[in-house]
Amino acid sequence: MRLKTPEIYSVELSGTEDVGKTDTGDGKEKYRGLKDKRLELKKNHQKEELKKEVDLEDHKLSIKELERKYGTNIVTGLSSTQAAELLARNGPNALTPPKETPEIVKFPQADGAILCWIAYGIQYFNDKSSSLDSVYLGCVLALVVILTGIFAYYQEAKSTNIMASFSKMIPQQALVIRDSEKKTVPAEQLVVGDIVEIKGGDKIPADIRLLSTQGCKVDNSSLTGNLTPSLRTHDNPLEAENPWNKMSTSPVGTATGMVINTGDRTIIGQIASLASGVGHEKTPIAIEIEHFVHIVAGVAVSIGILFFIIAVSMKYYVLDSIIFLIGIIVANVPEGLLATVTVTLSLTAKRMAKKNCLVKNLEAVETLGSTSIICSDKTGTLTQNRMTVAHLWFDNQIFVADTSEDHSNQVFDQSSGTWASLSKIITLCNRAEFRPGQESVPIMKKVVVGDASETALLKFSEVILGDVMEIRKRNRKVAEIPFNSTNKFQLSIHETDDPSDKRFLMVMKGAPERVLEKCSTIMVNGQEQPLDDSTAEAFHTAYMELGGLGERVLGFCHLYLPADKFPETYSFDVDTVNFPTSNLCFVGLLSMIDPPRSTVPDAVTKCRSAGIKVIMVTGDHPITAKAIAKSVGIISANSETVEDIAKRLNIPVEQVSKRDAKAAVVTGMELKDMSPEQLDELLTDYSEIVFARTSPQQKLIIVEGCQRQDAVVAVTGDGVNDSPALKKADIGIAMGIAGSDAAKNAADMVLLDDNFASIVTGVEEGRLIFDNLKKTIAYTLTKNIAELCPFLIYIIAGLPLPIGTITILFIDLGTDIIPSIALAYEKAESDIMNRKPRHKKKDRLVNAPLAIYSYLHIGLMQALGAFVVYFTVYAQEGFRPSALINLRVEWEKDSVNDLEDSYGQEWTQYQRKYLEWTGYTAFFVGIMIQQIADLIIRKTRRNSIFQQGLFRNKVIWVGIASQIIIALILSYGLGSVSALNFTMLRPQYWFVAVPHAILIWVYDEVRKLFIRLYPGSWWDKNMYY
Amino acid sequence: MRRQLRSRRAPAFPYGYRYRLDDQDEVNQNYLADEEEEAEEEARVMVVHDLEEEEEEEEKEEEEEEEEEGQGQPTSNALWQKLQIVNEHLWDPEKRMSLARTGQSWRVMIRPFAHSLNFNFNVSEPDTWQHYVISLNGFLQGYNDSLQEEMNVDCPPGQYFIQDGNEDEDKKACQFKRSFLKNCSGLEDPTFGYSTGQPCILLKMNRIVGFRPELGDPVKVSCKVQRGDENDIRSINYYPESASFDLRYYPYYGKLTHVNYTSPLVAMHFTDVVKNQAVPVQCQLKGKGIINDVINDRFVGRVIFTLNIET
Repeated sequence: MRLKTPEIYSVELSGTEDVGKTDTGDGKEKYRGLKDKRLELKKNHQKEELKKEVDLEDHKLSIKELERKYGTNIVTGLSSTQAAELLARNGPNALTPPKETPEIVKFPQADGAILCWIAYGIQYFNDKSSSLDSVYLGCVLALVVILTGIFAYYQEAKSTNIMASFSKMIPQQALVIRDSEKKTVPAEQLVVGDIVEIKGGDKIPADIRLLSTQGCKVDNSSLTGNLTPSLRTHDNPLEAENPWNKMSTSPVGTATGMVINTGDRTIIGQIASLASGVGHEKTPIAIEIEHFVHIVAGVAVSIGILFFIIAVSMKYYVLDSIIFLIGIIVANVPEGLLATVTVTLSLTAKRMAKKNCLVKNLEAVETLGSTSIICSDKTGTLTQNRMTVAHLWFDNQIFVADTSEDHSNQVFDQSSGTWASLSKIITLCNRAEFRPGQESVPIMKKVVVGDASETALLKFSEVILGDVMEIRKRNRKVAEIPFNSTNKFQLSIHETDDPSDKRFLMVMKGAPERVLEKCSTIMVNGQEQPLDDSTAEAFHTAYMELGGLGERVLGFCHLYLPADKFPETYSFDVDTVNFPTSNLCFVGLLSMIDPPRSTVPDAVTKCRSAGIKVIMVTGDHPITAKAIAKSVGIISANSETVEDIAKRLNIPVEQVSKRDAKAAVVTGMELKDMSPEQLDELLTDYSEIVFARTSPQQKLIIVEGCQRQDAVVAVTGDGVNDSPALKKADIGIAMGIAGSDAAKNAADMVLLDDNFASIVTGVEEGRLIFDNLKKTIAYTLTKNIAELCPFLIYIIAGLPLPIGTITILFIDLGTDIIPSIALAYEKAESDIMNRKPRHKKKDRLVNAPLAIYSYLHIGLMQALGAFVVYFTVYAQEGFRPSALINLRVEWEKDSVNDLEDSYGQEWTQYQRKYLEWTGYTAFFVGIMIQQIADLIIRKTRRNSIFQQGLFRNKVIWVGIASQIIIALILSYGLGSVSALNFTMLRPQYWFVAVPHAILIWVYDEVRKLFIRLYPGSWWDKNMYY
Repeated sequence: MRRQLRSRRAPAFPYGYRYRLDDQDEVNQNYLADEEEEAEEEARVMVVHDLEEEEEEEEKEEEEEEEEEGQGQPTSNALWQKLQIVNEHLWDPEKRMSLARTGQSWRVMIRPFAHSLNFNFNVSEPDTWQHYVISLNGFLQGYNDSLQEEMNVDCPPGQYFIQDGNEDEDKKACQFKRSFLKNCSGLEDPTFGYSTGQPCILLKMNRIVGFRPELGDPVKVSCKVQRGDENDIRSINYYPESASFDLRYYPYYGKLTHVNYTSPLVAMHFTDVVKNQAVPVQCQLKGKGIINDVINDRFVGRVIFTLNIET
């Protein structure tokens, strides 16, 4: 099975050639999911380049040829100057992280810049004396654009920095021979031709060609997805034996090699850049915001143009009409929203980082919330990523071992004599050792030199028996046959720790059936008994049962060598095997598994109740995969696969109706033969799916399949080869501990603790932020009408302008900013993890009810309230509302300095200007006061404010305070700065809008009441946003 | 003016007229004490008292303050000034109410009305000044003697024409006859002097409800060359000869009741101005507490215009 991986890999590669053919008119649409042909071409190019590059010949060259080719010497290495030159020429040996400008940054710039140009244009065409206002406006708009741009960039850069610092946390070192000396240099400074030495446990720092090796194996798993080191002799350099690739780790032994590729030119680097070529879909929130911008822009532009036409046909000057147009657009564009959304997202990102989800791309925060399918890895994510002893079988009984994270609670019966023997075998027949110098580290966290099973056994015995190394010292090892795949057993011979007993103890462990073959007796309750059919039967039952749990089973046996035949001085020779290896005494079985993390079952249940489908994708054996899936609840306790049903009913698999099965276990082999339609069918028909024996490349296929179902797919992965799938997924989640840099680069999010449960908390945060963004946007949109109406009425009814453009900007970017951010701190109204994930296309961020309710209900009420304040101010100063109509022309004429008001008083132009500014301030204050009410009503969408708690979110009150303080400062502090158009407003005007604010509150409470009273009614459908 | 509005809603309360008249003479001495008393009363009967009175009080008070500021402040530091301004705008401790507008003071405007304040005309080309004449004629229609005699009363000069009573009652207006303007009335010289290069310019103060010229002294008008040689204007005749706005035209009660009110005028007859060059003229109001040097609003207590008479 494992050998399938490379084939699948090459399938992937030749798959791209098919795409090439498609492009040249073959017409066979094999590669779905990509619409952009240009992108496709680019991808092709990259992939083919990869394939070309992969055809290295270096592994076939002799060492001499190599030395010539790279101008190096395997003994003395490169000289420092050579190395420096090469470093300068080829760059550091590091992957270039893909750099992207966040989509969201681009959103306000277009609008703002155009406005700005228009403003400047107007200033240019206007005569010099009257253009000062336009200059201010232009400057302010430019400032807005620049500031919001800088702000968003800063936010993005900050989160990128977190990432950068994260990956630099552990600088990799390499031992290199230069100037005939061994030097330790940072891996980044390696150059082609360097001779490097690798020790066991090191990461290979670059693509190297092996020169010599001592007992060294390499784990290329992050590259090929293979889980165990495998021996390869292919022509394909990926599979050949002597070149090793960057990022691979070498678990044992030492080796020397020559660097043949560095940085982005390594195979890893090429795969990473391939990943960046995979079309990264727009994040759902980016789509939503785009949708929102379309709505706002549509409203702004259509109203703007409509009123431009009206203005022109009302015989306004074209120039004036353009200023109206700007006013209308400024009133409509929520300038502060970008900053708000960015801050909101980064707040959530911070909160998620605390919960071990490091979000690289801010928008991914929300994506996680709308996730409907999670394709999860098994190893490390769902499981603890270490083999652990799960069951023991001796004395004809199965015992359960504690597999929790700390192993502390081993409850099985340890009094039996059989256990004494078994524990001795476990301890002695084991080559794994703790790395020295970790006395203070808890046993389970100690680093072990040795393979996974031996590590498990070592830790298991250390926990139960105490100091294993001491026991081994007392039972000196005299001979050993290590495990190999032909023998399938491991054997060692020890002196006993009983000084009176001069016999040697031979211990053996291995594949149970092999071990049993070598046994003639079996130990029961500490007594040796002949191995008869019934005990053999019992053995097989136990073996099958443990195997069926997906566990790796080992058999243990021993033999005391008779002292007469094997005296103390006897020389054991493992090559000739001058000692018996049969008629041993079988002691017991022990099974190991990589156990699920204890938090995972809960998390999976939560996902399920949140309507998220969890699909396991693993390279492991189907049985193991299924067992783990069952134990964590990915396959729930009462659901069966087709095979299960067949087995239960004792009928052939073909006869089972597929409808009866809820779960499915699909292997990579089966997946390979499936058509996309079959895959779609599989994904829709079964609610619980496990993909086993899959290659990381097949993940991409699975992800695409899920995306065809309109699902928002989250993918977890750690290997380099996962990176295309991570990129392709709506949200790629890389593992912080086990993950490779390439995976982390491709991912949108990094799980710092590799724990699946962290994803669920992330989902919760993501959903909350979506709800809260809705509230924020509703809050922000509302005042747009109150800002827009003045312009419309100004144009149509000819009132003195109620609110100036700059004043509007002070609302959008001043008083409203902190309150809208405060909404991000709002708690969920109900259990958000009990509802289905939002549908990408149906549950929009800004839907019709939201826009209508914000614009036409609350927005109009707000406009009305602000107009009341405006009219109050004018009336108190002498201009009654009726006198204001069509006053505009006279009002704005500079030469009229004795304009009569309703009481016959006469006003100079400056007085009127001042009154106009007072009007702006009054209108501003009117909106501000009502925005406080708006803020409070936006706390909830369905529940009453009193259910939600008025004071639970303290930040809201900070927001309200900020609104009031900013308004006070603007009016009383900056009231004398004429450029800002604020004046000192009489205190009583601040309260004119209060009744309106209360009205808004009451109105919204009534709306919510009816929504709660009549769910599903017309009211609910149209008034709930 | 806001008082005015509120008074429309408030029940009438005939109060204070006689009281005002009584202490009118000793205004200067008893002013402050009087104010305080008034303010207390106001606090008690805020909603239901005659607001005209209050208005007057307020205006007077403000002028007083402005005066103080003008005299006492120039040496204090900027912050203190700013605080003063804020204080003045926000809260008036004596009135126990807040104020919003910058201290009220007289604005002035001139006639003939033109789009700019540059009077350029050529004596020998009637087309260049005809529109001024038309504007003045039109403006003075309301001042025709017959009309004034028919509509308005001839009230005694030299004192405020204060009318108590129900605020809804129509107020009488004092006559301001066109003939008061003598040579600038357009009666003798229908071209208002423009045909001879001796243009008449009429100056009026912008109406402010309830506002009164300073404390019993009529406001005077005085014009001079704003920049340049003072001798560019060798003589100006003022009509009425006092060059002042008589007290009897104040206070103004607002056009809703003071229907036929005609603003008093002062005509400036520039009888000997240097010809063929632009002469900037500044006409200022002179009187106690009159502000005439505000920079932002160029019409506070003064008006600046240019005469450019070509021959």
